[in-house]
Amino acid sequence: MDRNQLIKWLKAPAKMGHKYSLHAVYFCTGCGIIEVPPSITARWDAERFGVLPVATPRHANLFLITGYVSVKTLRAIIRTYEQMPEPKFTVGFGSCPINGGMYWDSYNTIKHLDKYIPVDGWIAGCMPRPEAIFVAVTHLWTLIDKDMADGYKRYRDQYKAYRANQERALGKLEWPPLFPIREKQ
Amino acid sequence: MQIVEIILSPLLAVIIGIFFLGLSRKIMARIQWRYGPPITQPFIDLIRLFSQRSVSHGHLFNFGIILSVAGSLMVVLFIPFGQMHPMSGSGGLLVILYIMLLAPLGLALSGGEAANPNTSIGISRQLILALGYEVPLLLVLLAVMTHYQTISIVQIVSEQQSTGWALFSSPLFVSGIAYFLIIPAILGMRPFEIIQAPQEISSGPMVEYGGPFLALATIQHALNIFIGLALFVNLFLSGAGNPLIFFLKMLIVFVLGLIINAVYPRLRIEQAVQYLWRWPTLVALIGLVVVMVVR
Repeated sequence: MDRNQLIKWLKAPAKMGHKYSLHAVYFCTGCGIIEVPPSITARWDAERFGVLPVATPRHANLFLITGYVSVKTLRAIIRTYEQMPEPKFTVGFGSCPINGGMYWDSYNTIKHLDKYIPVDGWIAGCMPRPEAIFVAVTHLWTLIDKDMADGYKRYRDQYKAYRANQERALGKLEWPPLFPIREKQ
Repeated sequence: MQIVEIILSPLLAVIIGIFFLGLSRKIMARIQWRYGPPITQPFIDLIRLFSQRSVSHGHLFNFGIILSVAGSLMVVLFIPFGQMHPMSGSGGLLVILYIMLLAPLGLALSGGEAANPNTSIGISRQLILALGYEVPLLLVLLAVMTHYQTISIVQIVSEQQSTGWALFSSPLFVSGIAYFLIIPAILGMRPFEIIQAPQEISSGPMVEYGGPFLALATIQHALNIFIGLALFVNLFLSGAGNPLIFFLKMLIVFVLGLIINAVYPRLRIEQAVQYLWRWPTLVALIGLVVVMVVR
């Protein structure tokens, strides 16, 4: 580690904390979850990056959406995402959250996840290898450094649009709005 | 001078406890043939947790975790650490036995306020486990108090400086073995990692703890580790005159506990209480009888 990095850490310790302590909520959805246990066990060790699976969204700040999102899963994803403390980062894993992937013409899957919750980055592949997860984590570090990983701020600012999209896809939502929706003019 | 020790002793205990947390992750990783996080990883986790913004469930929820951390900090004041003993002239072992229960009770208070069934299960497991290890712990401490005819830990430590380690050179050998058998239960390491079973009850009483609350719970866990190890080193390994040698002795006991942690799976709560009320209690009873016969 060079002196430059140490000074950066001392000036903004919060940013260093968000980078090197990404705890992922162990939300196992879709096909991609088969690639996560190998990357947290002994062969491809994710803990040396600071990435650790945690059992509850209240402890987490990274949300990996690993695979296709059906309508039923979208309910669970939104509720989990809204329980995570801020700042939080979302990564779409595989090609299905990007544009529907293999299920592009299915009646029951969500094609573009970015309309419903804010996604900070995507990992291409079907499924990506564990090394791709680590490359994505280092890219996320760069984004956090440049203050470009601001999905949670987008969610807060444009919550009206996100909530409208969610209601259009899921019908009536049984949880109240997370942020108060102000009617502008 | 005492005010400096009162401020410095809990601070050192927190730092050493967090260092032990980091060391445990590193050693567990190396035992499992992987690299593991850096040893300063819990410090980074704490910085991240303190800079997050989370929700609270009410005033009792906030109060419970603060009570828990305050209880643990108070116990640290009564345990001599090297040459530092801020408040050990006032009650010693009996006060520690009482205040040690504030920490689980604080977690139980805030866990009850969080309306989550996982916290209820976690709290019941935690209090039942405390019930489990308190019985052999009380018998061990009774044997120590009977042998040295005092409740002051400072006096016990200074007597051991002259007669040698209590573990090896006195009838307290059996009681020392009993205490070592229940150290994983006090520290919350496998096979007694029942409270925070992440795979079973989603981290038990800590499931609703967001950013700063989780940071305080981590600090409380670190202090718990420090208290369990420091008590063992003071009572049986003649806690040293130098904080550095004290720390070294705690390190050796902790690494032994970690090796046991790496091998065993997790017990169920009724299996844990069955074990704790059977073998360590038997050994502690034998130790007490030996001490009384020799006396």
